[in-house]
Amino acid sequence: MPILEARAVSKAYGGFLALDNVNLTVEPGEIRALIGPNGAGKSTLIDVLSGRARGHAGQVFFQDAEITPLAPWARRLKGLARSFQKTSIFPALSVRAQLELAARKAEAGGDVGETLAEFGLEGVAERPAGAIGYGDQRRLDLALALTGRPSLLLLDEPAAGLSFEESMKLAKALREMANRRGVTVLLVEHDMEVVFAIADTITVLQLGKVLAEGPPAQVRADPRVVQAYLGSAA
Amino acid sequence: MNRGAFVKGVLMALAAMALGWVASKTVASALVMTLLAQSCFYALFALGVGLLIRQNGMVSFGHAAFFGLPGYLIGIGLKQTDIPIELLIPLVVLAVTTFAFLVGLVFVRVHGIAFGMLTLAIGQAVYEASTRLRGLTGGHDGLTIKFPRELFGLPLKTFQQPHGMFLIAWCVLVIVVTLVIWLAHSRLGRLTEAIRENEERAGFLGYRTLWPRAVIFAISAATTAAGGVLFALYNAYISPETVYWTSSGSALIMAVLGGSVAPWGPVLGSMVYFFLKEALGDVTTHWLGIIGISLIVVTVSFPQGLSGLAMRLLGLGARRRHADS
Amino acid sequence: MLIQILNGLVYGTFLFAMASGLALMFGLRRIVNFAHGALYMLGAYFGYTAAKLAGFWGGLLVAALGLAVLGVALDILVFRPLRGRDPLTTLLVTFGLALISEDFIQTFWGNDTHSFAEPALLSGVVQLPGTTFPIYRLAIVAFGILVAGGLAFWLTRSKVGLYVRAASHDPVIAAVQGVDTDRLSALVVGVGAALAGMAGVVAAPILSISPAMAADILVDSFIVVVIGGLGSLGGAFAAALILGQINVLGVVFLPELTALLPFLLMMAVLIWRPTGLAGSRV
Repeated sequence: MPILEARAVSKAYGGFLALDNVNLTVEPGEIRALIGPNGAGKSTLIDVLSGRARGHAGQVFFQDAEITPLAPWARRLKGLARSFQKTSIFPALSVRAQLELAARKAEAGGDVGETLAEFGLEGVAERPAGAIGYGDQRRLDLALALTGRPSLLLLDEPAAGLSFEESMKLAKALREMANRRGVTVLLVEHDMEVVFAIADTITVLQLGKVLAEGPPAQVRADPRVVQAYLGSAA
Repeated sequence: MNRGAFVKGVLMALAAMALGWVASKTVASALVMTLLAQSCFYALFALGVGLLIRQNGMVSFGHAAFFGLPGYLIGIGLKQTDIPIELLIPLVVLAVTTFAFLVGLVFVRVHGIAFGMLTLAIGQAVYEASTRLRGLTGGHDGLTIKFPRELFGLPLKTFQQPHGMFLIAWCVLVIVVTLVIWLAHSRLGRLTEAIRENEERAGFLGYRTLWPRAVIFAISAATTAAGGVLFALYNAYISPETVYWTSSGSALIMAVLGGSVAPWGPVLGSMVYFFLKEALGDVTTHWLGIIGISLIVVTVSFPQGLSGLAMRLLGLGARRRHADS
Repeated sequence: MLIQILNGLVYGTFLFAMASGLALMFGLRRIVNFAHGALYMLGAYFGYTAAKLAGFWGGLLVAALGLAVLGVALDILVFRPLRGRDPLTTLLVTFGLALISEDFIQTFWGNDTHSFAEPALLSGVVQLPGTTFPIYRLAIVAFGILVAGGLAFWLTRSKVGLYVRAASHDPVIAAVQGVDTDRLSALVVGVGAALAGMAGVVAAPILSISPAMAADILVDSFIVVVIGGLGSLGGAFAAALILGQINVLGVVFLPELTALLPFLLMMAVLIWRPTGLAGSRV
């Protein structure tokens, strides 16, 4: 039984069809990567799934309940969390204060010490988030998303702006985190090294349509995928 | 807020009220008392404006509506109904607050300058209504409010003499400031601060972002309305001038001068505004120019206002130093 | 009835001449200029003093030139240094400038209400079916239409206009394309201020001159710019004409609360289409 399902989702911006009848099924416990050339509709799909944008056709199901009309906050309360490509934090609030805010809603108890430790943020806990380093901010963004143990995490380009070493470290941390927490992950990522290092299954989008789907080795060998990527990213 | 902070807050409030009592007994000058009473009304007005800036990051150009409406509603209520004044006043404040909440549910969806223009529009709509509904409001001539001889067990005189009104207004102000400081530290306060910082993220943490901001808008209107009630009691008269947009502008100036990083900033702003105006009135006629220049200097160079400056000088500002940068 | 419609037209076209500068400044610099009413008032007072020496036309010329210079100075000394700051900062600064201007006017001209006569050339009335109408009011309509036509011609035909429209669409793109936005906006703010100043002189024979004249007209101008679609001159023209009619007809024929209609319209526009203004946050 899938944890997340998109049925025939379409989304147009003006006359441009960003998503064209997309079907997607994510199984519990897997790490799914969403890849594709620029403008393929990856971020749009994440936005529609998380409720940030609304598709103009199609349905979204989460844990077998339809969530198509739900606002982001309601999806989050059901256990669907997301992070942002451009780190999305509260710059004026202290790291601790915003984790407490997240924990309060997620009913994760008042103590955020564990979260601070898990994401290596103890040293900057009392500082305003706007004043901490970029790497710390990215981890804070992730910690905010993961507070309260959501069952599904949508990640929008977690490795954006990181060096190769940092990316690989992140990939390893994500893999461990997913195993430890039993959280299902759906990530959009440009960095193919990261994708092939952690994904169980890869879905390839092109021009708003699903082009291919399967385990990394199979997708890598797919001639249509090679064709789509020729001369573009990766 | 823990118990210790709560007790400390209550003690400080009681001490402040005692100070006001001593002042009303020792200061003989009716002029000083009048100024103090007036600055209390406008402090509440500006406190509402500043609260909205602090918690929601929204600048209002129409709060004069919430300041003037209580006077009109009380005046009309006393003329047209038999509701006793002790009940009428809370009803009026409740009505203004509810109105603000409903309006807020729509307005807070809009950000930045557009929000300012929306509040300007509603403020001016109330102004237009106050000038056109002559039968109810007296139009441009204004409305004389016929209070009964006695209210809340006190003779009306008490409310209309500088010394009596100052003490009452001061106590109301102290209570409201205490509540506003408590609000800033409350869950709602923290949540709206977070929404002000990053509304989308707050939504993705599972928080609804619309109604908390509408609640803040309503509380802000209630705060201003409290000032409006005192203003009406003291003057027993209200005219369209009070709800005109320049009146909102003055309150905004007080809030900006005082700064809204500290919840009590607007109070400082309005006290400085009134006493400076009085003091300078003897020396120069250029009050408007001075206030204009001050507004520009504070806006451009000291966005945290006088309270921010004071806190920095006292070394209290460190924790929030990054808040407005 | 005809008289009312004509009076509405007079106020509408006049309001457009006044508000067009506000719309231009918003379009180009994303500035909400609370000092625009002050510019209008300064124009009226400059014109008043100059008219004593050089007649109405001299007054109009002095107001136009004086305000153009002030407008350029405003752009260079205020708007340019504040570029990149929060739009609300600029707004509060222009509010401060409006207060300073009011002080300036009270100091030099006092608090009294002044007025000055229309030019001899435009005095008298025209005969209409069953009634008469002052020629000067028709001249105001002509002035408003002339401003609208002139701006439309300038913005569609000239190279400068093309850049103004590009910059109004997206200042960043225009800057990237090598447009000298600094000179451009000094020019546009100068023109906008001059129009406000001329509007002050043109209005003086029918509305009187006093330090309180700025506040009302400012709010009406905001309504015109907002309903017109924020920076769109065509929209502002239509909005000004509608507002003129509501202003006059509403009072005469419809219930008293028709006066609230412009504000309700303004709110509706801001709620449904806050584009442009909404991009800014505190």
